[in-house]
Amino acid sequence: MLEPVMFTGGLYKHDLIVELVEDLGGYVLQKNVTQSEVILLILVPTEDKPVLEALSNELRGELVRAPLAGTEVAVVTPTLAIHHLPHTACDIAEYLRRHGSKTNMLGLARGVGREIAQINEYETALINEHDAAVFIFGNFADCIKKKESLYRNISVPVVVTGGPKIEAKELPYAFEYVPSIGRVAHRAKKATEIGTLDGIVASIGRALDKTRATIAKDPLTISPPRVMDAVREQVPDVEFSYSPLPIALNLNGVRVKLPYGAYKDAVAAVTFDEGARLGEIASIMPSRMKDYILVRILPASETGLVF
Amino acid sequence: MDPMEVFKIEVSGDEEYGSKKYRELIMDILQDLGLIRSIGRLYVYIDISKPFFAVYGLLRSGIPPLTAKDVGDVMHVAGGYQIKINDEEHMANLLQALWQRYGRERVAQPSRDVLIIASDSSPSELVVADLESEFLQDLTDALVRIAPEGFRNRRNEMTKDSFFFIAAEESLTLQMVSEIKEKIREMENA
Repeated sequence: MLEPVMFTGGLYKHDLIVELVEDLGGYVLQKNVTQSEVILLILVPTEDKPVLEALSNELRGELVRAPLAGTEVAVVTPTLAIHHLPHTACDIAEYLRRHGSKTNMLGLARGVGREIAQINEYETALINEHDAAVFIFGNFADCIKKKESLYRNISVPVVVTGGPKIEAKELPYAFEYVPSIGRVAHRAKKATEIGTLDGIVASIGRALDKTRATIAKDPLTISPPRVMDAVREQVPDVEFSYSPLPIALNLNGVRVKLPYGAYKDAVAAVTFDEGARLGEIASIMPSRMKDYILVRILPASETGLVF
Repeated sequence: MDPMEVFKIEVSGDEEYGSKKYRELIMDILQDLGLIRSIGRLYVYIDISKPFFAVYGLLRSGIPPLTAKDVGDVMHVAGGYQIKINDEEHMANLLQALWQRYGRERVAQPSRDVLIIASDSSPSELVVADLESEFLQDLTDALVRIAPEGFRNRRNEMTKDSFFFIAAEESLTLQMVSEIKEKIREMENA
């Protein structure tokens, strides 16, 4: 079992952490260098975590559990206008990032209003490429109930946030509803506001656990971090991608940030020690996000293999 | 405590939370844009089932236009007048107004905060900026920000001492406007 953790510490000697993680059979998911600080998102075998903790203490770094690491969450607002940004939407997105998730902010083209709110097929498909979504709504209960049509066709779990308290049975298509974070015009800094943000993180955590449990019933042929490692090794061009995270992890695959047309064959040809090619154990398709490559790993029931 | 004399907000239906939050939101936005001190009374009426959003406000006493003597010290010197600028924020407007009245060749700027005008008539009463129209622009901006998003059919009636703003999703009808005005009058008299 791999445990997601986040290491924050000095740049000096941080490569010792990276080496140790590799030796233990873990994965470094993301590395962010900010001047003399480094933030590493790591998957480490649970039984070896104390070793990593000891090294982290020795380097005067901080190692915390990042329950959302290795997942991608969409933060969806009715539009990208001043009514939702920067306060609510950015606060939620930033808070999810601090818990290790890769967060994408998404403003709908015509999500505004009560009667006129709509979502199109492209937006739905793009949100479905994530592991979970947070829909941010406003202060009126009536509008929140009415806007259910925006997320009714989304297949990933949707956490809805809004101001007033609403019974869960009144929002049957939402995975959970988190109240008391409607439209606000100031930054979340009071203890109660931070508590609400914690509530959103916990809710997303439950949503992801549910997806994990579903996947566990018919396990994936190979784990996404291993695919990430192999692609990074065998398609070296990915390191030249301008994205801050050239390979984004999902619960059921990865997104490789290289042009689909030019690199799909190279990604499909990635081979594993067991002899299988990635193209045989995963479907490789164009992502709705820019011109990226979306890799969805097939379950064991389809390939008959588990690595 | 509200800095306004009267601030009433009414939301139709069972939306107590929305009404409480909109009060905070309006205060936050008016404070951000520095408008809160210029508004005396404010009445907000929201009906989310129609839906529309209406604000009626009374402004505090008007703001006089800014003249040259407000932004600097005007002195009579040999060969004309000198203005020593104290408030550089309106420098561009001041230069523009001076050029228009005296012509560019008669306005000299020997240093950053000194202007010399070669003329016999004093520039002290020259209007530099119309703060009232700037204020009304800021107020309209604030109202558009406050109104729920997507309420794109707007009507804004502004007079010297009051403003009345409606935003709705559907087209506004005369009947609707007069109903809202009636409602706000009730709130005023209550």
